Amino acid sequence: MADISNSTSTNSAQAVKAGGLMAWLEPQQNRILVLAALAGIALALPLILNNYAMEVMSSVWFYVVLCLGLNIVVGYAGLLDLGYAAFFAVGAYTTGILTSHFGINFWLTIPVAIFFSICAGVIIGGPTLRLRSDYLAIVTLGFGEIVRIIARNLEITGGASGLIGIEKPSIMGFELNEIQHFYYVFLLLAILACFISYRLQHSRLGRAWQYVREDEDAAEAMGINRVGIKLYAYVIGAIFGGVAGCFFAAKMTAISPETFMFQQSVLILLGVVLGGMGKIPGVIIGAFALVLFPEVFRELGSMRILVFAVVMLIIMLYRPEGIWPAKK
Amino acid sequence: MSLQDILLQQLANGLILGSFYALVALGYTMVYGIIKLLNFAHGDLYMIGAFCGFLVLSLISAVVGDSWAGLLCSMVLSMIAVGLLGVLIQRIAYQPMLAAPRLSILITALAVSMILSNSVMAFTDGEFLAFSTDLGFDGVELGNVFVTYTQIVLVAAAAILMVALYLFVHKTLYGKAMRAISIDKDACRLMGINVNKIIALTFFIGTSLAAAAGIMAGSYYGSIHFFMGFVIGLKAFTAAVIGGIGSIPGAMLGGLLLGLLESYGTQIPFIGTEWKDVFSFGILILLLVFKPTGILGQTEIERM
Amino acid sequence: MKKSLFMSSVGTALAGMFLLGQVAIAADLKIGIMVPTTGSEATAGKDMENAIKLAAEEINKAGGIMGMNIVTMTGDDACDPQQATAAATKLVSAEVAAVVGGYCSGATLPTLKIYGDANVPFVIAASNSTKLIDANQGNAFQINSTGFDQVATAIELFKGQGVEKLAIIHQGDGYSEDLAKLTREKWSGMGKEVVAYEVVNKGEQDHSALATRIRSKAPDAIFWTAYYADGALVIKQLRQAGYRNLIAVGDGSNSPKLLEIGGKATEGVFCFSNPTVDYLPAAKAFHANYKKAFDQEPDAYAPLSYDGMKLLADAIKRAGSTDKDAIIKALAATGSFEGIAGPISFTEQNTLARSNFVTLVAKDGKWILAE
Repeated sequence: MADISNSTSTNSAQAVKAGGLMAWLEPQQNRILVLAALAGIALALPLILNNYAMEVMSSVWFYVVLCLGLNIVVGYAGLLDLGYAAFFAVGAYTTGILTSHFGINFWLTIPVAIFFSICAGVIIGGPTLRLRSDYLAIVTLGFGEIVRIIARNLEITGGASGLIGIEKPSIMGFELNEIQHFYYVFLLLAILACFISYRLQHSRLGRAWQYVREDEDAAEAMGINRVGIKLYAYVIGAIFGGVAGCFFAAKMTAISPETFMFQQSVLILLGVVLGGMGKIPGVIIGAFALVLFPEVFRELGSMRILVFAVVMLIIMLYRPEGIWPAKK
Repeated sequence: MSLQDILLQQLANGLILGSFYALVALGYTMVYGIIKLLNFAHGDLYMIGAFCGFLVLSLISAVVGDSWAGLLCSMVLSMIAVGLLGVLIQRIAYQPMLAAPRLSILITALAVSMILSNSVMAFTDGEFLAFSTDLGFDGVELGNVFVTYTQIVLVAAAAILMVALYLFVHKTLYGKAMRAISIDKDACRLMGINVNKIIALTFFIGTSLAAAAGIMAGSYYGSIHFFMGFVIGLKAFTAAVIGGIGSIPGAMLGGLLLGLLESYGTQIPFIGTEWKDVFSFGILILLLVFKPTGILGQTEIERM
Repeated sequence: MKKSLFMSSVGTALAGMFLLGQVAIAADLKIGIMVPTTGSEATAGKDMENAIKLAAEEINKAGGIMGMNIVTMTGDDACDPQQATAAATKLVSAEVAAVVGGYCSGATLPTLKIYGDANVPFVIAASNSTKLIDANQGNAFQINSTGFDQVATAIELFKGQGVEKLAIIHQGDGYSEDLAKLTREKWSGMGKEVVAYEVVNKGEQDHSALATRIRSKAPDAIFWTAYYADGALVIKQLRQAGYRNLIAVGDGSNSPKLLEIGGKATEGVFCFSNPTVDYLPAAKAFHANYKKAFDQEPDAYAPLSYDGMKLLADAIKRAGSTDKDAIIKALAATGSFEGIAGPISFTEQNTLARSNFVTLVAKDGKWILAE
């Protein structure tokens, strides 16, 4: 099971090469060559893009991180999570509250957010991961809504209006406040997410996830602690979402509970499923489609979910393993 | 209002709400019982039912009026139409997935749910439509407790549907086949039961019950919109779980219980209504974690 | 393999189309419109867009601004904070001279930073949450009265009707919560009682339990601060539960749909509204022109949007240049601009200097001006 590793960064140009030249990509050095070229393109893009295009592209990288995070839960471990936006919310609100109420430096809020994401992952996952997968879907949906309602009701989270005036982060006196800065920040996050995902997939844990996904009972008979490794998937996914949330809050400077509705979770799930669950390039393509579609097809903007849902249904019926071809 | 009046009035409120929950929960439970599928699209079929009823009523109201007769006609017609839609969905989307991993069929169901609600959104521009009927506000007053005739009729109609369903499942051959399939599909096939036909029938009945609830809710509350199935879908699922998923009397019981729980829940002092949904979901989660078989459900033995 | 090639080409094509779309079109004077043209609030957003375009067209017909033709460019905020920031950045990078629009306060809020950093003059036509005031960097101007003014109008009505015990219901979104909170503070501050302060969830249909709970507290008046769709259901079920006293609704419920869905139950309900064409004598010509141009009735925020564009043109003329600082200065100095929705001048916080709220009452299925 040699997977395609051209994942450190991507754009559509890469996808073409990867599709057509799959065999050429087999040797390690060729893959590294392609990856380097792609990273170069992604890094150079701000030179030719205007602010709007950069805004959209940073949104793409941002969704790449979220989708890869959910992919660990759905794609690797095979658990349907319908409340992923809750982790995203935990990260965003941690940063928002700590910087705006307590004046804590943005970078220091990240470890706190990671801690809370882990807590949230354990609280949600701990008791529920024993459940059957369809029950789990509903439970995660319920938790997602609970987190949103709590954020809406509490005073410290700013109630329904949310938090405003969140500090923009700075690195050694250099303030990140322009869109190029955030473009690079999100690009780096996306690259990091790809790297971690790739390493996880090929780790001992990654193989355990695969066994559990394929046959839970057999995996358990082989001595795999299925609840334990599911919990790992859950918590790691939660950390991805939480960290993405921190940067989201810093970029937007204002957050409100509406961002973390059920629809957001579904959107992220769509990104994971559209390109092919469990495959890093597939998930990245999914994130691209998610963000670019409404920008390109303005008139169809409100039909976005409908179009995606139809595509998703077709994928599930005719190509359940996703658009990205699996390599056997 | 005295405390007694309040409690009585909340009893009436809870029973009405619970009837809707029960009708929708029945569809969940029947489908789950027979093919072990959590049909995410069920709440959306309730919504489609309401829109279908609205459409039929506006077509036939010139002939039969928009009072009881018109409503009854449109209800029957839309129950049939939406029931057939349910069968169609089952055939196109679920049938090919029955052997696939659980995750795939769940995502398929989610996709169907999104397609239904988003296409209605596209057609209606996301607007609320006024489902205006001529049902009136008259009713019976018992002291300070007030119940309209419409409410009484709604509860009665729900009860009739549920009793009819119960009799169908327990007294007819088709019902027996349904119960048999939910226990062992393969054995049924060997015994000469047309399993696919019975599954289709189950979808038809479950979906048309949801459609009936949708029309009743639409005409009772007076407005319909593409999103109306989401909340009730979740609540009905909770009801089905409370009663024990897979059990038909359980769904009825669970629906009524949840309705009562919610209406009495708003009377709890010191806790604002803003926490209401946290409680509903909290109950669901606790129940799933600690007693997933519900009140009337049977413990499932996992086979390897 | 073929499929993957195909999909990859689709991806490239999508990205390519997106990038190609970024070529700027040279124009005389580019004005941005930021409204939701997709999503749940698209109807209101398109209505505002129409009104702004109508105003721009009239200005162009009359010779433009200092000889320049106005070209509008719409950024769709979809009533969503994330899409709103993209829309705002899009307008800023297209180098618009100024922006008119803003419907959902929650979506407008994060864009204030973007327009502020770019120093782009922004005339906010509809959004009126009080949160916008703090986030304003001095370049944004609210021509709709804020929540404070609405609360004042509401309190006046309640006092006039001899209300002592008040119940407030909102819908858990930023706008209606803001209004509910302000009202509660003000009412309690007057030494009167708020007997119930409740939330309903958007999209829920059954409010009978809540209605019974509220009725048992016997309020003299109920104030619904949120939108018409859920408001109609709440009002209907309150009446069904036997509540007979005063009901008032905020400007989010100012729609004929409230009366259509609520039916007889909404008879006699009071509504606080920003000025719509029906109650504006100066808007007659606008009303007719709008109907002619778009073949539909102008909605609640059309007059304000129209005024927003006209005000901007007026300010640019007074500034005598398209320099952003000059326009902002001119906007702030607006003294006696006569809009179709009334005169406009600004407070130190760049909000409308007067309250433009009127009180309506539902009679025979129609909103009419209350005494």
